[in-house]
Amino acid sequence: MEIQTEQFTAAVKRELQNARSRAFLKVMPPVLNMKRDIGLSTFPNIDAAQAYGAAIRQEAMARLPELLEEFEKNALANGAKVFWARDAKEANETILQLAKERGVKYVTKGKSMVTEEMGLNEILSKNGIEPWETDLGEFIAQQLHRPPFHIVGPAINVAVEEVCDLFMAKANMKEPTLDPVQLGYAARLFLRDKFHHVQMGITGVNMAVAETGTIINVENEGNIRLTKSSPKTQVSVMSLEKVVPTMKDALHMIRLLSRNCTGQKLTAYVSMDSGPKKKDEIDGPAELFILIIDNGRTKIYQDLKARDALRCIRCAACLNICPVYGQIGGYAYGWAYSGPMGQVLNPLLLGLDRTQDLYRATTLCGACKSVCPVGIDHPSMFLYYRSKDVLGDPYWKGKKRPSSEKRFFKAWISAVTRAWLWNLGIRMVRPLINKDAHDGVISKMKGPFQGWFRTRDLPAMAAKTFHDRWKEIKKI
Amino acid sequence: MKNVSLFIPCTVDLFLPHIGEATVTLLRRLGINPVYHEEQTCCGQPAINAGYQKEAQKAAKHFIKVFGDDEQVVSPSGSCVCTVKYHYPELFENEPEWRRRAEELAPRMFELSQYLVDVLNVEDVGASFAGKVTYHESCHILRGLGVSEQPKKLIKAVQGTQLVPLNAAESCCGFGGEFANNFPDISESMVKDKVENYLSSGADLLLLCEPGCLLNIGGFLSRNHPGKKAMHLANFLAPNGREGQ
Ligand code: SF4
Repeated sequence: MEIQTEQFTAAVKRELQNARSRAFLKVMPPVLNMKRDIGLSTFPNIDAAQAYGAAIRQEAMARLPELLEEFEKNALANGAKVFWARDAKEANETILQLAKERGVKYVTKGKSMVTEEMGLNEILSKNGIEPWETDLGEFIAQQLHRPPFHIVGPAINVAVEEVCDLFMAKANMKEPTLDPVQLGYAARLFLRDKFHHVQMGITGVNMAVAETGTIINVENEGNIRLTKSSPKTQVSVMSLEKVVPTMKDALHMIRLLSRNCTGQKLTAYVSMDSGPKKKDEIDGPAELFILIIDNGRTKIYQDLKARDALRCIRCAACLNICPVYGQIGGYAYGWAYSGPMGQVLNPLLLGLDRTQDLYRATTLCGACKSVCPVGIDHPSMFLYYRSKDVLGDPYWKGKKRPSSEKRFFKAWISAVTRAWLWNLGIRMVRPLINKDAHDGVISKMKGPFQGWFRTRDLPAMAAKTFHDRWKEIKKI
Repeated sequence: MKNVSLFIPCTVDLFLPHIGEATVTLLRRLGINPVYHEEQTCCGQPAINAGYQKEAQKAAKHFIKVFGDDEQVVSPSGSCVCTVKYHYPELFENEPEWRRRAEELAPRMFELSQYLVDVLNVEDVGASFAGKVTYHESCHILRGLGVSEQPKKLIKAVQGTQLVPLNAAESCCGFGGEFANNFPDISESMVKDKVENYLSSGADLLLLCEPGCLLNIGGFLSRNHPGKKAMHLANFLAPNGREGQ
């Protein structure tokens, strides 16, 4: 996937004009939020359930190295083979090699954010191995060559007409139809055929249990299950933060994930794999590879503040509640991860220099923080990134700010700390600000604040500030 | 008369001084003597939000020097109260003495409606207004301070006033300080939604407790719907009051 985080502003403009996305955004997030509320209300104590989730993820992060070792040991004992990849390149090469060694022509895939992050599909295609996404939404997004619009519903915004045309063109379908059920059926028939002869399946991992070496996937369509059980070779790719200590922890996280994600108490399918098919078992893959990918996580782990980002379980609750996402949708974020979780994660994975707009395009309203089941404080992370950016921090590739901004804050702070200078400054600035004022209202201004005046007026600066007025008020 | 220290944020001082005056009127009417330290400036929120930590620390130290000894500080801006309450202690991770002073000041900071209802135990301030109003929940007041019932109680007690619901009252209006200026496209889209919800609420007036939201929503109304008004709660409660309460 091509990373386009630098094109945020242009993509925002485009998406704000996109009638289809706009109409869709008016409807979808409120519905998902309502479902989430209903789902969460089935907990006897919602706050306690969410706090428990936060505690589990916090513990997992505090003990990450040790838990990963434990997970690897138990997964190996179950008969799985475990690979470690430092970055996307290593991970892609490992998978490619596995596929080539087995003479694989194509693979089926279960929906996986981390393989989007790695750009695995492009690498496989380039090397003559066709990857078939089997999640319906991901399948559509893949065929349209678009990034996911939403981390849970990647093509949730695509019109049925467009899906119909697409399926006709790709020869998946004989007769055009706008019936979503028929469209789903067409995709299913098409993919069934792929499953039939598939030699290798690739999926992500929702949860990895250290205690038992088990990997867990949740889904509603059953395609991950098919991708994991049809082929002889299964490859499960997990970013290293997916581990939790015990099965009990994992079960609670699944409860939280389902409710926060789609409002379900549990997804239609939950598959738990502890190793490949055993001698006396009738189905399952003959060989199971678990690929644990770092791709920048160790670096995140080493920064205590940034580490909180690794708690995320990709439930998308923060996307659905975010007022910015609710206006612009998922494309503007320019990569696999969108919404507030993308704004938290992408800067750490890609560098602050390439993602300046992401951690600044937020009003710090805190809606994301208020719903997050693992206790991520998104606004505080954004402020942290901004401060590192201002310092030009080399660890996170801070870019530094324009010198005009720096000068502004330098002047500002010398006035803030001296009231006489502050009040003198106000008297000097007033005529400049009020230059274009009419009837106490400023409607336009050139220069650094012109963004404000595109759609809004500003009251003219008061002839007497409160400070000035106080001299009279206090006598009354 | 009991004294309370007044923090007037820079937005109010410079652009919306009538909010400060209304705050004073209101407090005096309730038998409280507002004290204004003339050395006060800005709490430093713009620097924190822009990532200028060092500058923010200096602003915070100045604020603590000015207000540090006050028994209670009240402000007609919830986001500034949040800055002092939650961000100041974080700013001084490596300066334990300043951190201690910041932490001591934090519980003595109050947003205006919170102060009236929770500290003074007042709901009816003796105001009257004939008409329908609706209330916008500002992010920092709602999620930052957990203040939502307080302003509504004050509004409901106003004679002749009917408080009508605002659709999506809890979603952000798109201000966010520098955000509104730096991302005008998104901000416009957000404030437009907010205003559409206000217009369809049937209310004559939109009330709020945050000067930033007022600049944003009020500025949009002034440009696009000049007949409609947004107002800070202090200005709604201060006039027409029964004197001598
Ligand atoms: S950051 Fe967002 S996606 Fe991640 S766990 Fe929190 S709410 Fe869910």
